[in-house]
Amino acid sequence: MVHLQPDPFLNELTSMYERSKEKGSVWVTLKHSSMKSKAKRKKMETEGETIEYRCLVRATDGKKTITTSLSAKDHQKFQASYATVLKAHMNALKKRERRDKKRTAEVEQKPASSKNPVSSKKPLPTKPLL
Amino acid sequence: MVYIASWDEFVERSVQLFRADPQLSRYVTKCRHCDGKLVLKVTDNRECLKFKTDRAQDAKKMEKLNNIFFTLMARGPDAGISVSGKEQVEQQASKKGRGRRQ
Repeated sequence: MVHLQPDPFLNELTSMYERSKEKGSVWVTLKHSSMKSKAKRKKMETEGETIEYRCLVRATDGKKTITTSLSAKDHQKFQASYATVLKAHMNALKKRERRDKKRTAEVEQKPASSKNPVSSKKPLPTKPLL
Repeated sequence: MVYIASWDEFVERSVQLFRADPQLSRYVTKCRHCDGKLVLKVTDNRECLKFKTDRAQDAKKMEKLNNIFFTLMARGPDAGISVSGKEQVEQQASKKGRGRRQ
């Protein structure tokens, strides 16, 4: 497990996404953590010290794990950069295909209806909105 | 594994779960480019909520949820957020002459 600063972490995360394009998954985990052990935390609580919490981010491709932690100040900048990285790589997901399917179905129906003069379907270009 | 069908329900329940136990809860994202699938999981090691999708539109919703969780986890469970995103609303309000104010 490699602990990095936020910027190198993002660079490494980008290359992880690139490597996993054809095969494999990328897991990203977010956790609220004080980065201290339970014993230390309890001790700090009993002594009345405020515990500083950070956002722990882990990323793995199944083989290599990288990690970084964000403070309350860093997190907004990081989340903007992280969103950019995600957008660049999420192009594998399906976009809305329904409308395209309806249009291709219409196009197929048109030549069929022109061959058959007696047809219940009207060869209108516009379709009623559902 | 509990897969939740409704996005809004997933968001609401996962934020509740995190607020109930911030020490143990975690938010996990799995992205498989080769299958075109995205799975989100929020768990406190007792209860587990999952959401899976292959739709590009859900990736946008996921970004908003990422922002929510980053804020919650960096600032603490008491951080003020609304499900739609208070910071975004504030930014829109400060922009002049863009669209109607509702």
